[in-house]
Amino acid sequence: MSGKASSSQHTVGFSGSGGLSHVYIQYPPLRCRIPGSRGLYYDDGSKLLLGPTSNQVFSWKTVPFDPHVAPTSDSISEGPILSIRYSLDAKFIAIQRSSQEIQIWHRETGETFSHKCRSESESILGFFWTDCPLCDFVLVKTSGLDLLACDYESKLLDLVETRRLNVSWYVYTHESRLVLLASGMQCKTFTGFQLSSAGIVRLPRFEMAMAKSEANSKPVLAAEDIYIVTVYGRIYCMQIDRVAMLLHSYRFYRDAVVQQGSMPVYSSKIAVSVVDNVLLVHQVDAKVVILYDIFADSRAPISAPLPLLFRGFPRSNTSSSRFSGKDGESAEANISDHEAIIYGDDWTFLVPDLICDVANNFLWKIHLDLEAISASSSEVPSVLEFLQRRKLEANKAKQLCLAITRTVILERRPVSMVARVIDVLVSNYSYSIKTGSYLKGIKVERTSISSGAHVNSPRSSANISASGIDALGKSYEHEPSARVENESLNRSSNISTSDSEDEAHFESLKNTTTSLQKLDRENILGAESASNEAQPSSSQSQHPGLNNNPLNASVSERQELQLASPAISPDEMYSFVFAPVEEEMVGDPSYLVAIIVEFLRSTNLEKIKVHPNLYVLTIQLLARNERYTELTLFIINKVLEPSKEVAMQLLESGRQNFQIRKLGLDMVRHLSLHHDYVVLLVQDGYYLEALRYARKHKVTTVRPSLFLEAALASNDSQLLAAVLRFFSDFIPGFRNTSDHHTYHRILSEMNSAIAT
Amino acid sequence: MGLASANTSSEGMQLCVFDLRRGQLEGQELDKILFFFPADLPFSTQLSVIGLSEGLITFTRIFSPEAACEVIEAERHSHVFYEAEPDIWMVMVVEKSKGLEVIWRIDALREVLKEVHSLFMMFNGSIRAMLEREPSGGVIRSHLYPFIMDYLSDFLVGKKLQLPSFRDCLTERGTVQMLTVGREAAIEVQSLVRVLESCAGATPCHSLIFFQDLLVSTTVSPDDTINLFTYAVLRLTPRALSSGASSWSYLRKGSTASHVAAGSTLAQSASVSEHLYRSHDNSPGRDDSYHVKRPLQHDKWAKGKDGFLVTDIWGAEIGSSVTVSPTIWLRQTEERVYLCAYQYKGLTLILLIPVSSILNGEQGVSLVKQQVLENASLKMLKVEEKLSKGWGGENAYHVSGYRYLLVDDDRNISRASPPVKVATLTKESLLAMNKLREEVDLEKSRAKRNGVDQEKDLEICIRAKNNAWVIAHTTRGKELYMVLEKANETLLYASDAVEKFSNRYCGGTFSLD
Repeated sequence: MSGKASSSQHTVGFSGSGGLSHVYIQYPPLRCRIPGSRGLYYDDGSKLLLGPTSNQVFSWKTVPFDPHVAPTSDSISEGPILSIRYSLDAKFIAIQRSSQEIQIWHRETGETFSHKCRSESESILGFFWTDCPLCDFVLVKTSGLDLLACDYESKLLDLVETRRLNVSWYVYTHESRLVLLASGMQCKTFTGFQLSSAGIVRLPRFEMAMAKSEANSKPVLAAEDIYIVTVYGRIYCMQIDRVAMLLHSYRFYRDAVVQQGSMPVYSSKIAVSVVDNVLLVHQVDAKVVILYDIFADSRAPISAPLPLLFRGFPRSNTSSSRFSGKDGESAEANISDHEAIIYGDDWTFLVPDLICDVANNFLWKIHLDLEAISASSSEVPSVLEFLQRRKLEANKAKQLCLAITRTVILERRPVSMVARVIDVLVSNYSYSIKTGSYLKGIKVERTSISSGAHVNSPRSSANISASGIDALGKSYEHEPSARVENESLNRSSNISTSDSEDEAHFESLKNTTTSLQKLDRENILGAESASNEAQPSSSQSQHPGLNNNPLNASVSERQELQLASPAISPDEMYSFVFAPVEEEMVGDPSYLVAIIVEFLRSTNLEKIKVHPNLYVLTIQLLARNERYTELTLFIINKVLEPSKEVAMQLLESGRQNFQIRKLGLDMVRHLSLHHDYVVLLVQDGYYLEALRYARKHKVTTVRPSLFLEAALASNDSQLLAAVLRFFSDFIPGFRNTSDHHTYHRILSEMNSAIAT
Repeated sequence: MGLASANTSSEGMQLCVFDLRRGQLEGQELDKILFFFPADLPFSTQLSVIGLSEGLITFTRIFSPEAACEVIEAERHSHVFYEAEPDIWMVMVVEKSKGLEVIWRIDALREVLKEVHSLFMMFNGSIRAMLEREPSGGVIRSHLYPFIMDYLSDFLVGKKLQLPSFRDCLTERGTVQMLTVGREAAIEVQSLVRVLESCAGATPCHSLIFFQDLLVSTTVSPDDTINLFTYAVLRLTPRALSSGASSWSYLRKGSTASHVAAGSTLAQSASVSEHLYRSHDNSPGRDDSYHVKRPLQHDKWAKGKDGFLVTDIWGAEIGSSVTVSPTIWLRQTEERVYLCAYQYKGLTLILLIPVSSILNGEQGVSLVKQQVLENASLKMLKVEEKLSKGWGGENAYHVSGYRYLLVDDDRNISRASPPVKVATLTKESLLAMNKLREEVDLEKSRAKRNGVDQEKDLEICIRAKNNAWVIAHTTRGKELYMVLEKANETLLYASDAVEKFSNRYCGGTFSLD
């Protein structure tokens, strides 16, 4: 362990001078310095960073993250502020004034009312707003939960329901809608409630694992050792075990909590963030971050521990002075000494992907460096799988996938490996088609571009992309959840027998949730919470307090991120992989043909249609190598599906090989392209066949003169006579046309010439 | 094998190969004979057969220098000519007997000559090249004799040679029968082909894939495909491997007491002929250890433990039990390739590795084989599974009510009613079809002679004596022959039947109007 720590320390030193990293924070940060600030509060419900002063609250929007966003302010009355949160519809501000009192502030009217604890024995641990249909406001007290409804008319918080239990401390994230209440001597016994839009779900009570250092000492779990993490629409809880130096993970199901596995930690201070469903474990002391993609069962990190990189800091003074403005030089001085700042003591990690530098009043957003991550692994298929799961920078992930695929083909890696790469891309595309995220992404892209600054469009796109994630999360779930189901049922029954009071409650809950369970058979929490994720932002957009300008900015930013999924369609595979690769590739094209065959195999398995251009390309490759036998097999067995483009390419390639031309002709006929077929027959000199065909299929678009000229060119009077006769018989009024007269005369001249 | 004893009865057939460029001087006539069957015929008789053929060739060349004599119909014999290589001729003389059983189609007989020559070329290279290498002719004779004898042994029924007769009028020698596969299976097959292609590193390998006795995929030219297909069906496919054991047992019973004895008989006859040839060769004898390959010998292929087929036809490496890998010549590229055959259930796979790409001989070949096993065995499993799932069995291509033969001349592919179904036809129908095919052959060769590159449509429907419809239909390189027995008497019915068949099974090729 110590050896590892020292080695990671070493990498810090190495990369401190701008070395490798997979995660970075981008300069400039969101500066939230205001004179007279009394600290910063992050409200994850409304996604606002709040900076109260003695009589005002400044709020910065953090989603979408814009470092230059201007704060909005609300005036409040003076008094102590322990905690502050905006309601989800942004109409109210709730401020915890003391351990007994909460003050509610109506933003429009400025009216206030207070809510106090009934008894002195209990004190308020915290509160949050919720979109649960039962209540609006949840108060967490040492004696349990109070679910309250906000009644503005009577200026009251009505008590809807109380859940009595002893609480030492609690953890809540709005993202998961999950509140975990810690109790017991070691604070390792947990009761969880999910207050989702579908209702309240009580989780079975569970205990967290804690190693003992000595026989007698019992470590106490602290709130900062627990993180609720939402990844791929699933909810996990990460628990730091300081004695064992392990990070335990628990996954929450509707009726069970299942320990999933542990990851080693190399630092006494640990923080956890989630960026684009990737779990980031910050080893604060070691100043490195380890990335985990806990999509699969594997608990192996994505890559080696590497430091967090500080990106985009302007080193020249001229550029820094441009930005400095009111924030003053001191901030700049601090930043320029960035090695000291990274993982500073003043850093607070906010859910899910923000870092607040309390000392400097900076807010950083953590970004994944997808390029660096994908470059760090040689296992290309798994890199692509990772990239294909990225939603946040879907476009970038997509471009990376395309580039990687091009590279592996150009480098002529083994076909089996490229085949796996292709399988990953195709199955992901097929998946995104099934869930609709691919098509929706495109649709949204189109509408938002056309409607420009329209206020509604960002909202709809947010909803859609969120639902895409939701759907993904749900059905990716299938296997593991099914496996867990039995186990979890057993556990829940155990728990309910031991706790009879809860049992009744559990039953009543069951009734309310059965309908949901029908919908969501996997029993996953969090699936629906993810779908609601977009709500706060949409309600914000309607808020009069926020003007339209930042919204517009968000539209333009979103256009880049428009793609809801990095899935790559077969058309894109053709135009961004096969076509460019074909141009660059030199030498024997059989390798590329092999790759294309693998692609076709993959698409055929997923029942995806392939762009005819790819078939055309394949024909060109095979014909260029004069591999006509194989080309014939490809056509006959419909490996290259028939289409007009394919047929035309066959005719084109058939200039060198008559057999291939015939295949093209046959395909034209099978496709019922009657006009083309007749013209082609005439070109090949099969006049009578062409006429017969024209008559059978009533092709009237081919001019008679075409046949007559051809017949005349053959210098065969019998043929000319036959053609002439055919038209006279089958086209009414042909005898009166100039064609008839001309050729009739020519024919009689020919005949007289023969006679003499 | 017992062919030697069969010849002595000497009824029916004579087959000779001779070189017009040799033995032009008086007294050296024997020199031109490269092969004669039956070998024990007196030289005078042999020479008279060849002399007559040579005379006719020289004579007809005056009128048609490009394509000389094709056939002579004498009162009691038919002479079928085939110019295998420039000035190297093969002539088959068949006796016309009074019995109905021996009615031939000349083109079918010529296909036999063509086939044996093509196969010989595949294994040994051209006759001319061998003659140039060893002008005395001893080597070519010692190669041709066992090769053609082995080939002819396939036509033995009991003690009699049974050449293709009118009963075989609904088959086409020298074409390939293909398995029809769906798109998914075809893609899997192609995927396998690509893996095989890259097995020997940089130099691409060719491959052929068979399922049962049908071709699934090939990457070699049509000519080479036909040869390899013929050879595979004769000796390599699962049926060929197993029938080698079963069917030959009864033949052995018929001819000689034991296999060894049969072999010795043949060896004896071979040595007799060798002795005869050598006696007038005046050439010094070849090295006795010179190895004459007999790739058409029966029972020489067996399935090895690793799934690869092994044979000792090509001999063994000196001082070891490792057999030498077979090599063949590809006609199109004129390159020598190793032939590796692998078998998994019904799937037979022929891998052709260019000799030039393997540096260290047998060791290199076994390395490639290992590569194949490593990279492709999974795919082979999959392909076999897909193909056997989609396979309709022996009678898969039977269309009830029809007895047909479908030939694609461009691709050298044919498909026909299964033999058991054709066998249900009456003799009259078959004779009528045989006759009709001869007519069509004539028409085809006439068109070829006239240099018309356009393929004419041809449609003939004949009401045979037994009230069966006998139909031939050719269009643009495709031919359809059909016998409809117990059919309605109107011509409309017959042409409807063709149309229906064409639309369903030929993609509408024969129903253009």
